[in-house]
Amino acid sequence: MQDQPVLSWKVAGLLLGLLLITATALVKPLGVSTQYVVTDAIVLHRAAPNATESNEYLSKYGERDDWGIGYGWMLVFGMFVGGGLSAFITKRFRQRENPSLPSMWREEFGSSSPRRMMHAFAGGALLLFGARLAGGCTSGHMISGISQLTIGSFIFGISIFASGIVTARLLYKRRLAL
Amino acid sequence: MKLVLGLVIGMAFGAILQLGGASSYKKIMGSLLLKDLDVIKLILMSIAVGTVGIYALDLVDMANISIKPTYVVGITIAGLIFGVGFAVAGYCPGTCIVAAAEGKTDAVVTILGGLAGALIYALVYPAFKGLIEITNYGEVTFASAFGVNGIWVAIPFSAVLFLLMFKVLKDRY
Repeated sequence: MQDQPVLSWKVAGLLLGLLLITATALVKPLGVSTQYVVTDAIVLHRAAPNATESNEYLSKYGERDDWGIGYGWMLVFGMFVGGGLSAFITKRFRQRENPSLPSMWREEFGSSSPRRMMHAFAGGALLLFGARLAGGCTSGHMISGISQLTIGSFIFGISIFASGIVTARLLYKRRLAL
Repeated sequence: MKLVLGLVIGMAFGAILQLGGASSYKKIMGSLLLKDLDVIKLILMSIAVGTVGIYALDLVDMANISIKPTYVVGITIAGLIFGVGFAVAGYCPGTCIVAAAEGKTDAVVTILGGLAGALIYALVYPAFKGLIEITNYGEVTFASAFGVNGIWVAIPFSAVLFLLMFKVLKDRY
C-alpha cells in the first residue's frame, strides 16, 4: 500500500502556483466546476434539445449548434489523463483493497459499498450545487479567486471550511472520541 | 490549439494534485478533521506563489485576470452547501476527477453526483437567481477596494501565508 504522496505539500503547492501563473498568462486562471454544466449541456442538447435551449442557465453555456468541447472541458479531461498517468507511473493506481472504499471510511462505517456510494453521490450533488451557486469551486474560487484577491472567494473559502469542518466532525464522531 | 493547451495544462494540474496527495480521501478528511493539514498547506502554498506571480505579470499587462462577482449572501450559502458536500464526499469537483483516474470508484460516483447537482441547479436557477442579485458588489478585490495595484496587496498577503504555513501551522499538524 503506497499511502504517502510522492511530493510534499511544499513542492506540490509551489508547482500548482507556477501552473496557475502559467495558465493565467496563456489563457485564464484555473477552474473546473463550470465543466459539469457544460457536460450536462452537451448530453442534454442531444437528448432534449428544446428543453435545453429554453433552460435559462444551461443556455448560457452554449448556443444552438455550439454545445461542445472547448478549452475548459479539455482541461478537466486533461486532469483525468494526467492524474491517471502519474498514479500509474508512481504505482498508485488502484491501490485500495476495495476500489469503492477508502480505508479510513471502512474503519468508521464498515465495509458496505452501497452506503459509501450514497454518500459519494449525495456529496457530489451538494458540491456542484454549491459551486454553481457560488460561480466556482476549490480551484476557480479558492485557488484562482483568492490568488487574484477576490473578496467573494475569501468568503467562499471561509464558509466551505466552516461547514466542512462541522460536517466532518459529525461524520467521524467515533474516530475523534478515541 | 486552445484545446491542446487545455489538455496540457489539465494534465499538469491533475498530475500535481495526484502527486501531492490532494486526491486522497484520507488527506482531504484529515484536513477537515484538522488532523493532517497537508492539503490545506498545499492550497495555501499555491495561493502564496500564485498571487504574487499573477499580479507581477499584471504589472506588465500579461495576466488574463478574471474576477468573479462578490455576492455576499449567495456565496456564503453556496460555500456552506459546498462544505457539507466536501465532507460527505471527501472530494471536491476537481479532486474527484483525479481520484476517479486513480481507479477509485466512489470518486466516479461523486462525478455522477456532481453532474446531477449541476443539473438540479440549472433547473432551479430561476428561484435562486435572487441570491446572486442581492448584496452583489461586483468584481471587487482587496486591491480594487483599497484603490491600489494588486501587487501591493499580493506581496504582504503572500508573506502572511508563508508565516502561516511555516510558523503557525508548522509543528502543530
